Amino acid sequence: MRMPGLPDFPYYVGVGSLAHVATREDRVCVLNILGGESSEVTPVGHAYSGGNVVFGTAPGKRGQVLETPAGPIPVYNNVLEGLNEGHRFNCGVVYLPPSAARDGVAELIRVNPELRKIFIVTEKMAVHDSREIRALGQQNGIDIFGGNSLGVADAWNRVRIGGALGGDHPEEALRRGSIAIFSNSGNFTTTIATYLRMAGWGTTTLISSGKDVYIHFAAAEFAYALDHDPRSKAAVLYAEPGGFYERDVDFGKPVVACVVGRWKKKLTRAVGHAGAMSGGDDDAIAKERWFLDKFGVDDIFTPERPVFSARGAVVTNIAHIPAALTAVMDQNGVAPDFKPEGSLALKPWFASNVGCRLPAELDLPVVTAMAPYDEQIARINRQIGATLPRQNMKDASGASQMDAQTQVTALHGTSMLDAAQHPLEANIGLALLHEPGGENDRKLVSLAVGAEINLHGTAPLIAAQAARTAGNAPNSIAAAALAIVGPNRVERARRAAKLLIDIGTAAGVLDALDETVDIPVSAVDADERQLLLTTAPDVRAEALLAGFEARGARSVFVRWLRKLGNPDANAVLAAITTTLAWGPLRRKRISRYTAESLPWWMCLFGTQIGASVEAEKHVSDAFCGIAMTDLLGKRSLTEIACIALLGQEPSAADLFAFQTLVGLLLSNGPGSITGQGAKGAVSADGPDTPARVQLNKAMLGFLSHSGYAHGGNGYEGVAFLIERFADIGLTDPGNAAHGIDLAAHATAFARRYGEDRATRKNVGAEQAQALPCINHPVFKGKPVNVDPREAFVHELFRQRGEYNVFHEYYRALVQALYEENVTRNVFCVNVDAVIAALLLKMLWRRYRNGSLSSAALEAAAFTVFLYGRMIGSAAEIDDHANRGKNMDTRTPQSACRFVA
Amino acid sequence: MQVTGMLYGAKLLRFVGFPSAEVLGADASEEEIGALIERCGQVFVKPVFKGGVGKKGKAGLLGRARDLKTALAEKERLYFAKHTYGTQTAKANGVTFEGGVPAEHEVYFSITDSTRYRAPMMTLSCHGGMDIEEVDGNLIAQVPFDPLTGLKAFVVANALSALNAPKAIISPLVQQLPKLWELYHGFGMTTLELNPIRMKEDGKGRLIPVACDFKCGFDRDDPRWQRLNLPANLFAVDYSDFEQEINQLRTYQGQSDVYVINPSGTILAPTFGGGANSLVSELLGDDAIISSDFGGNPPYEKMKEVARICFKHWLKQANVLFIIGGKSNNTDIFETFRAIADALREHFSRHGPTPLYVVIGRGGPNLVRGMGAMRDTFDALGLPYRIFAFDSDISEVIQYARAVDEWMKAGGREQIAASLGVAKSAAA
Repeated sequence: MRMPGLPDFPYYVGVGSLAHVATREDRVCVLNILGGESSEVTPVGHAYSGGNVVFGTAPGKRGQVLETPAGPIPVYNNVLEGLNEGHRFNCGVVYLPPSAARDGVAELIRVNPELRKIFIVTEKMAVHDSREIRALGQQNGIDIFGGNSLGVADAWNRVRIGGALGGDHPEEALRRGSIAIFSNSGNFTTTIATYLRMAGWGTTTLISSGKDVYIHFAAAEFAYALDHDPRSKAAVLYAEPGGFYERDVDFGKPVVACVVGRWKKKLTRAVGHAGAMSGGDDDAIAKERWFLDKFGVDDIFTPERPVFSARGAVVTNIAHIPAALTAVMDQNGVAPDFKPEGSLALKPWFASNVGCRLPAELDLPVVTAMAPYDEQIARINRQIGATLPRQNMKDASGASQMDAQTQVTALHGTSMLDAAQHPLEANIGLALLHEPGGENDRKLVSLAVGAEINLHGTAPLIAAQAARTAGNAPNSIAAAALAIVGPNRVERARRAAKLLIDIGTAAGVLDALDETVDIPVSAVDADERQLLLTTAPDVRAEALLAGFEARGARSVFVRWLRKLGNPDANAVLAAITTTLAWGPLRRKRISRYTAESLPWWMCLFGTQIGASVEAEKHVSDAFCGIAMTDLLGKRSLTEIACIALLGQEPSAADLFAFQTLVGLLLSNGPGSITGQGAKGAVSADGPDTPARVQLNKAMLGFLSHSGYAHGGNGYEGVAFLIERFADIGLTDPGNAAHGIDLAAHATAFARRYGEDRATRKNVGAEQAQALPCINHPVFKGKPVNVDPREAFVHELFRQRGEYNVFHEYYRALVQALYEENVTRNVFCVNVDAVIAALLLKMLWRRYRNGSLSSAALEAAAFTVFLYGRMIGSAAEIDDHANRGKNMDTRTPQSACRFVA
Repeated sequence: MQVTGMLYGAKLLRFVGFPSAEVLGADASEEEIGALIERCGQVFVKPVFKGGVGKKGKAGLLGRARDLKTALAEKERLYFAKHTYGTQTAKANGVTFEGGVPAEHEVYFSITDSTRYRAPMMTLSCHGGMDIEEVDGNLIAQVPFDPLTGLKAFVVANALSALNAPKAIISPLVQQLPKLWELYHGFGMTTLELNPIRMKEDGKGRLIPVACDFKCGFDRDDPRWQRLNLPANLFAVDYSDFEQEINQLRTYQGQSDVYVINPSGTILAPTFGGGANSLVSELLGDDAIISSDFGGNPPYEKMKEVARICFKHWLKQANVLFIIGGKSNNTDIFETFRAIADALREHFSRHGPTPLYVVIGRGGPNLVRGMGAMRDTFDALGLPYRIFAFDSDISEVIQYARAVDEWMKAGGREQIAASLGVAKSAAA
């Protein structure tokens, strides 16, 4: 038995006018009101509609309420309970999961004789259930909207029911006007309303029909209700392929039909809307034809070729709807409802080229967003620096990564081979700022670290010297000094850096090197001035500033500090580091925490380099013979560190070899022992509260995890080479005309080594020690093996025209070992040989003339490792502090072993 | 999700007791085939295609054999037959041997859901054995019926009367055809077609309808089809590895529909909303790698997993990551964007950076926070981007993404690769 409805339909339809689809009088019951989606959407709709939801259901949750801006909505276990409590409603909204939607509809109908409309939001309902729902609605005289609908809304009545049309701010899309919208797409219902506003058209009733196979309130019902709604002068209808809903519909009012989906013909199954699959003669082209015929036009409307009639137009792109509607309505003598609110031109709200050169048509500048989004964007733009998700960082790193194939580690995307071509100060930038930086950055790093190197009269130097005297290795000596550079020593500089970042952000500094930017002096209050300034000129600050000027460096923050008064040395250091950090900070490459930690890092680097040198080389006005004015105003950090290592002025070749060594030694990934030590130290401090991480102690972690076997072992190669070249009378290892027959020399040793090994084997003695710096667990097994890192460096120096007899000897040796049948194939010369050869070449003359002892040579080999790894460890520590979790490096008990 | 042919069709029909032709699979022994020929007089040899494949008979992909030798020859001919229909090409893997059913009358029968009537509809014709589209409309009955009562005997009887069906076939069809509603409605079908049903005489001179070909489509949103225990690989051919991975995430909370358009495309466009999907697929054409709809307010975890799978399969070859949708109503932009951003970051961590330009067009709740999360991630990863909101013409945003793709192909990819410090990699 079917209920009688509107007489014009052969089936039941109750809603005869769009004005009755969603009214202020409608009262709503929401099924599954506390579900994830409803609990977000219902409060907004309820408030927008003046409180139209009388109650909701959620099994087992009777007594709870859903809070909304318009007051709480009561929740009952089921519909009957709500009715028994005296609530009355005529609209049901179904937010149930697909398996329950049909039963929800049946229950609404069964228990509430006053029910007139049901809105089904549920998507992915089985067709089986939809066909039964259709029959239920027909039998009982209920108008059903959906399924997979985002409900309906009425801009005149300020009501929305059964979904989220207009999102969390319905008034943004729904402005009262004269156009009705019927759309297969919920998203496009809102998007079309937004587009119409841009062209001056407001809306009456908006219906998201859904696009399941069954559309219960479909185009025919909409057309009828449109004709009988005096408020609506025209309609926009968005249709997708599949189904014959639109074919026989007559519209009494102008309509712009948007048919999208020609392409969908290629699909063999539905993507997106389940019903958007054509069976053949209901595809997009067929639908376009239906509408073209209805409107008496022969082609699609486009801005370039506007084809339309007073009855309507067909578009295939929703962005063309406003223009088509305006044209059609103009033909009908109807002007837009209000002044156009904007344009649909491309307007990037955020943009970046990352330095790429884009053609002008792609290089669209950022535009100011419309209100209220402009204010929201301004707010997030005030947040500076990256924020990284915290996770377990045991054996993981966001800083370094070793390529398993090449064994080359990359630090922040820069391979060690490339880093080896950067000066030391650039690699500090790479480690902490994630980029090597430019010329100005190098000057600033050299100045900031250089200022901390001369430890004359300081506790760290006393501690270091005491450690040295006690016979400690270079790592322990450095650790003694760094242990003293604790948080209190840099607290003022860190606070200053924090303040300067705030000031720069508030002043809208884009480029910290653009000294024309004017930060007002009034940017700081009295307390802040006290932090940054001193009453009398600070000698250290003045020295730093003089160095800054002498280097011709640029910094908005340093200039501003000078303008402010007599800066404190900590403030100058902070101004320098904030300048360094500014670009990466703004580009979200580094976090604010990292930027604020930079002054501490500069102190730590300076202290470690300084502590590697005997105390006597630190005097009040010079370090290793370099006058402080030169150290601050002229020398690069690479030069300073190289002098500290060699104890003498380096040649250009020495400097290049030194920077190559440091670069190669930066990192070996988070699995290296130094990496593990550094990360463990951070983990133990609790990086969840990064401000508590003691960076100096973390450096101690790295230092304590280096030693004679890891770091100090560079000396093994040096010792081996010294032995080989002890009696040869080599004077200049860089001179290719040394007159030594390297092949013969290597062959002689290889033969001896082979014989010795055979003899030992025959007599069952202990095996001969493996030769240092040849062979590698990865680069092996081929007829001729090559460590790509060694090959790279060899080629690098060859191109520079630099010769290294030690390196060449190693290459001759692996060949000789093979030819003498000592090795089964040509072993590779590994990267440790490169390090030994470079180092020994630099120190050979001093070693030969007796001014450098074997012990000092061994210390130098260890020290250069510590210089490089200091930088890489800083990157690891900073990364772990930014990303890690408290105690995340611990190994679970289940993974530990007991050995009897 | 379609099943065609009698191999599985006969099994499905057995569920409701509808008679069907005898059928043997490709693994049948020569003795079995010979016995079938002896019983039925002849066998039809048909190639087995997975999924729905039509018009095989017209393409000559149907063998008829009255002796074993011919049957085996036809088996050899059709076992790996290729069949092109429309834009699709399918390859057979196996054959069936279907016993001939001698009959005077052939009937066409189908049930579908009709959008004209918004009800299930029976289509019936006494002129079976050919494509229904080729039968004169006057010889076809299309009858909608009430799903709550089902396909009743009187519906069939009335239709056969209207068609002036031969009297001898009316009673057996009225008895047997309503059973098919149980199969259709009870096992989550959206189409069921038997063509032909051959009216075979039993020993007593009565006619019995015997299904001689079978086609059905299942509703993948309806779990009822799983009761049939059909082998999973029956439908597997429909899905690529990527699609299968994504499909495993298919729940009612948030869409996860994907379709691989062009496995060597260069624009990876996670799309939000069915409408946006139509427009984006239309305008990107073959530049797009996938057609997708990830709308419907997916939770963070699901969105991240979807993005992870997309990136794993396609990011390396993509020039443009194009995240596009209209102005969402209920999809939380912050949640979805945060999930995509985190997945992208993790992908870069695991697989290293890849040259990519990101274009976004979107609107909806928590828009600016979501865009901010994206921006921060792209900045941190060193990727160029343009982020548009809902006040930019969505079709223009799509055209912008295409223009970026062109620029990437014309040297942009190298530029970004250089700024990321990686090789250009991948064919773009």
